[in-house]
Amino acid sequence: MTTTIMIILAAGFLLFSIIKSRKKTKKSVMIAKQMFLNTFIDVAGIMALVGLVLALLPPDLIKQLLGGGSKILSTIFGALIGTVTIMPAFIAFPLSKSLYMSGAYLVTIAAFLTTLTMVGVATYPIEVRHFGRKFTLVRNGISFVMALVIAFGMGILL
Amino acid sequence: MKKILKKYKLILLAIVLYGIFFIFKRDIFFTAINMTGSFLLEMLQVLPPVLVISALITVWVPSELIRKSLGNKSGIKGKLLSLVIGSISAGPIYAAFPAVLVLFKKGASVSNLVIILSSWAVIKAPMVLVEINFLGLRFALTRVALTIPAILVMGHLVEKLVKRENIGEKTENTAKSIKDIESRLPNLNCGACDYSDCSSFAEGVFQGETTMKQCVVLQKQIKSEVSIIGQKTD
Repeated sequence: MTTTIMIILAAGFLLFSIIKSRKKTKKSVMIAKQMFLNTFIDVAGIMALVGLVLALLPPDLIKQLLGGGSKILSTIFGALIGTVTIMPAFIAFPLSKSLYMSGAYLVTIAAFLTTLTMVGVATYPIEVRHFGRKFTLVRNGISFVMALVIAFGMGILL
Repeated sequence: MKKILKKYKLILLAIVLYGIFFIFKRDIFFTAINMTGSFLLEMLQVLPPVLVISALITVWVPSELIRKSLGNKSGIKGKLLSLVIGSISAGPIYAAFPAVLVLFKKGASVSNLVIILSSWAVIKAPMVLVEINFLGLRFALTRVALTIPAILVMGHLVEKLVKRENIGEKTENTAKSIKDIESRLPNLNCGACDYSDCSSFAEGVFQGETTMKQCVVLQKQIKSEVSIIGQKTD
């Protein structure tokens, strides 16, 4: 849904830009094209590798790791697994639900879901290329800790 | 040749591994291909509009405006605007990198940079709906309610720990090395100079293959900030 809105928005701005100035529009399109090619080359390889890892690591194994044991340990596991994997939402949410059904702690699931999108080992090289090593390390490090804080906060509230 | 190999090393590695699995474990190959296909499809839908909007911002929106609304002095309004920008944008976090870099280069603060990135990653209106669907209203809303303050704190902490110069352009000295040249470039990797990215362009400038003038984005900035950049390029 948001994607459709974004596409409409982008097309609208582009049209407006063409009306205002062809030259500037041409320049914009060139910039966008090159950014796309660069990102695509960066991301496609990573996606292919993550796809392979997810195929090798069936959801059942993740379930085993997050399913039981101590609350604190499984939550840290949850945060770690979220950190090293990328998963589309349509896999992550059903997986989380089945985790919950099979007895995993809510805290664990919250940690997993938060680090899944906010902290990225797989996207690390891309982030470094854009923002540099220091920023990437600090941002991901703080995000990881914050994801744990959010998760344990939920444990207190729910 | 070496450069090409380096640039495509992940893709090459993936191709080799997929080849091995195709021969020995065909079922895993197909599961993986399906997974990768869905990732790529998402990317093809999301990246073009995000990048077109980013490129239009690069060309059209004056730095003043970004600095005013998202810069160091934008205060709580800037933080709220960053949260809104992040959460209404579509796509995974890697789509956010080039887009947010554009805003940063135009003067958005480090803290707002982190806020946009993080909210882009975690707070998504349609995603929250899916989450409610699967995990319940209470779970989803509590997670969002806790994430928002956490993101604001994160922005503050990262800003304290990472200086702007460590992320963006450095504004000192004349070119002594490729790194120096690179640090003066916008690092948008836009490719309008016909080099694949800013570091190859910097290398080109250093070796005299091309000049700083070929950097389209920098030329634009020079027009608006003649005095500052003029001193540096002398």
